[in-house]
Order: sequence, then C-alpha cells, then structure tokens
Amino acid sequence: MSRSLKAAIWLGGVALLAATAIDTLAVIGRHLGIPVTGSIELMQAAVLVSGALGLTIATIVQSHARVRLFVDRLSPAGQAIADKVSDTLSLIFFLALLIGSAWISIDLWDAHEKSEILGVPWRLLRLFANACLIVAAASLAVRIARKVQS
Amino acid sequence: MIDTAGTGLVGIVVLFALLLAGARIGTALGLVGLGGLVLILGPEAALIKGGVVVVDTLTRYELGTLPLFLFMAHIFFSVDASRDLFDAAAKLVGHRRGGLAYASIAGCGGFGAINGSSLATTATVGLVAYPEMKRRGYDDRLSTATIAAGGTLGQMIPPSGALIVFGIIAEQSIGRLFTAAIIPGITQALIYAVVVFVLVRLRPQLAPPGERAEWKDRWRALGRIWQIVALVLLVIGGIALGWFSPPEAAAIGASGALLIAALRRKLTRENLFNAFHETLRTTGLIYLIVIGALIFSAFVGVTGLAEAAGNLVEGMGTGTFVTLLLVALLLLILGTVLDGLALMLLMTPILLPIVEGTGMTAIWFGIFLVRAMEVGFLTPPLGINLYVMQGVTKDISISSIFRGVLPFLAGDFFHLVLIILFPAMVLWLPQMLGT
Repeated sequence: MSRSLKAAIWLGGVALLAATAIDTLAVIGRHLGIPVTGSIELMQAAVLVSGALGLTIATIVQSHARVRLFVDRLSPAGQAIADKVSDTLSLIFFLALLIGSAWISIDLWDAHEKSEILGVPWRLLRLFANACLIVAAASLAVRIARKVQS
Repeated sequence: MIDTAGTGLVGIVVLFALLLAGARIGTALGLVGLGGLVLILGPEAALIKGGVVVVDTLTRYELGTLPLFLFMAHIFFSVDASRDLFDAAAKLVGHRRGGLAYASIAGCGGFGAINGSSLATTATVGLVAYPEMKRRGYDDRLSTATIAAGGTLGQMIPPSGALIVFGIIAEQSIGRLFTAAIIPGITQALIYAVVVFVLVRLRPQLAPPGERAEWKDRWRALGRIWQIVALVLLVIGGIALGWFSPPEAAAIGASGALLIAALRRKLTRENLFNAFHETLRTTGLIYLIVIGALIFSAFVGVTGLAEAAGNLVEGMGTGTFVTLLLVALLLLILGTVLDGLALMLLMTPILLPIVEGTGMTAIWFGIFLVRAMEVGFLTPPLGINLYVMQGVTKDISISSIFRGVLPFLAGDFFHLVLIILFPAMVLWLPQMLGT
C-alpha cells in the first residue's frame, strides 16, 4: 500500500472519528440539557471528507461493485477487454461528475457560501470533493493507460 | 418528443446491457441517467444535475448513518464479536438436535444487528459456525444452507445498509424503516428455525445432538456478549423510541464499539487502521452507487416512465394481491441476475408508484424490497451468499449448497406472502411507537 493511500485512509479515519464524537456529544449534551450548537453542520463536513475520500479509495483499490455473472465466464482476453471498458466508462462518469461539481464551485466561489450557525466554509469543502474526484479520475486514467501499454 | 416513457424504457435496456457487460453498478446507473438527461434537458442541465447530486450526497446528514454503522461493524470485527455471539448461542442450545443450526441463525441475527450486510454476516459467522458444525457431524448441506440463509438477516435486522440506501432514494425516514424491519426480521429468523426443526425431525441424522454445556460455561459465554447486546439494544431501541435519530444512533454505536474494543485491549493501531480502511472502502462503494442511482432516478422521473408503468398496471385491474405478487415475481426474477443493491436502485423509482397505487406505503415497500433482495442472495445461479459459503467451506460443491438451500427458499417465499397478506407485520410497530 502506497504512503499516499495510507495517509488518505488515516485522514478519512480522523473524519470518521470526528463524526462519531460530534454526534455522540450532541446526544449526550441534549439529554443533559447542554445542546451542542451546530453539530449537524460539523457532522456534514466530517461526512463529506470521509465520503469523498471513501469514493477515491474505493476507486484506487478497485472495489466498486460490478455484476460479474457474464464477465467471469469470458476468456482471459475477453475479461481484460471488459475491464478496460468498465474503467473507461467509470472515467467518463467521474469526469462528468467533476465537470458538474467544478462548474457549481466556480459559480458559487465569490458568494463565500457558509453554513448558517458555525460558518463552515462550503467552498473549501466543495474544493475538497472536487480534488477527490480528480484523484479518482486520475487513478482510472493511469490504470487504463497501463492496460493499453501492456 | 424525447421525454417519453419509451426513452426511459430504452434507458433501462441500455442499463441492463451495461450492467451485464461488467460496468460498475454506480457508473452504469449514472451514465445512463446523465445520457438520458443530456438528451432530454441538454448537456448543461445534465452536468449540473450530476454536480449537485455529488455534493448533496456527500453532505447528506442522514447518509452519514451509513459510514458510522459500517465503522461500528468493522470495530466489532476486530473484537471477534461473531465468534462470541455464536459461542453464546451454541452454549445455550447447541446440545439439542439441530442446536448448532439454531445457534447459527441466532448468531447471524445478532451479528446482523451490528453490521447490516448479508455477505459480511454469512462470511464471518460461517467461518466460526461451519467448522464447529462439521466437527459435531452435521450434514454439510444443512450447515451451509442454514448459515447462507441466516446471513441474509444481516440485511433486514436494523441497522441495515440496504434500508439506509432505500430511505435516501425513496426519501423515507430511516428510523421508521429500521423500526418497521424489526418484526419481519424476527419472523424471518423464526421461519428459518422452523425449517431447521422440520428438517431434523424428518431426518434426525442431519444434525446429531451434542453435550449440554454447564451453566458456568453458559454464563461465561453470556458474559462475553452482554456489552455488545446492550449496545445493540440501545442503538435499535433508541431509534425506535425516538431517543435519537439514526445518524446519532450510528455515532453512539460507533462510540460504544470503540469503548468495548478498548476495554478488551483490541483497539490497536493496526485494528483501527483496518477498520478505517474497510469502512472508507465500503462507504465509497455504496456512495458511488447512490450517486448513480439518484441521477438515474432523476432521468426516470423526467421520462414519466414510472407514471406510465403505474397506469398500465392500473389498467390491468389485477387488484392489490395479484399486483404485489407480480411485483415480487419481477423482483425475484431480476434478483437472479442483478446485484441486490442494483436491483433496489433500478426498480425503486419504477415500482414505488405502482406499489403506492395499490394502497401500500413506501415504508412497506422498502421492507418488501429488501426481503426480495435477500431471496435473491439465496437463489441460484447468482445467489451470492451461496458462493460466499462455498468460499468459507472450500470443499463442498456449489450444487450441493444449491440443493441444501431449497427448504430455506420455500420458507422465504412463505414469509414474502405473509408480508403481502399481513402488511401490519411491517407497519404496526412504527405506528405504535410513533417513529
């Protein structure tokens, strides 16, 4: 496992721990009569970080779900072609998502979008999600290029 | 006019072709959805829709339930929760004829309550229960089929990953879905136990009785699981009684799992890293499918396909029971070739309006759909739980496992018919608790 992948997993893990802690404290606080203001906004930020990293990690380690009923019955050469087609379709999809997400980010950049209670900067979170989409798309592109070369 | 039901139908055919050609499920759903939206609304609107869905999905508070429940499950993997749960059940009923089969079902139910995945439940309980059943002389077909069938409880007993995803797609309360799943989950486990009871009554040699464990051993085994059971009851009960929302329950569950792992000195750096890795990997896998499904759902909505299908069914005048039976049949047929999650996400936008047209609610349909998905996990030739079980045993032919699971499939069909005939099995508890 590469260092950068390990770092992404630790970062995603910290986001998971943060989400766990935020909502646990919110529940305890509510039942003790000490409400934790803005916990949902913090939770949303933590979930975005872990979810975006999850999308990227699942793409890098190739664990996205596929129906393999027919693919597994193909010859090795047929399976290699099916894998290439699958990677190419995924690359197109990730790029389409990236274009759409980046489009919205650019449109809203100057609006300095912030959450209502705590002022969580949404534009930075959008930027983070876009960066994760770029890494996922890049990993697919590299994989396709390697397969074409071999 | 391109925004017609016919366009939607073509989209579904293309989707099937892509899925069967081995495209990733989320990619296939999303690309067909985006392609359709490009044709109907134009490229700009389609791309922006895709971008909106990505960020909306990633920041959706309710969907935060999923990674945290997964995190809880992966922490529990590291403390050998499946072994402890099976061991406790085996100590209590293992001496009876078929006792280890009952213990497997109970172990699957218990483990299903902490992980929410059929495959994970089958694999982990299978690794613990199968060798013990083999050692005690249980018939291979009975043991593999019991664990494969019991594993499907992971999908139904709350917290269930499939129900969380359904709640997001169908815009339904996840807490209400979890509460609605409690009685179907329990009755499903009871039906499996009845199947085992009948099988061992008819052919006693399938499952010889074992030695009765002493009470001190039973208490010791129960002592190892009380913390897990208490946490699960707190999580499920807390949602059902409205003490906290599903995302909060997931956070409480994850905190409790971390605490239990720490108390057992299993919260090592390695275990924590593995739990992070598996949680993020599975989260990413599901998020891609959800993103694709939401885009596909928007496309289906624009074409009016669901409305046209609803009108068609209404025009047939088949009545509620026959319509629901046909829906079940369609799901079961598609379930033999499609992955469970793909089946749910593909069919929900189309079938939900039809089912609602018969007077049933979306909550009922969610439970019914997950139940039909579970049957798909057991139905040859795709029945993925059967292959997982073969992977666990390594030395048993898949055809043998196929034959063994038939009585459990019969039980599943009976249970599905019960859910159609008695919707109160699903709807009574959430109504009573007001979730």
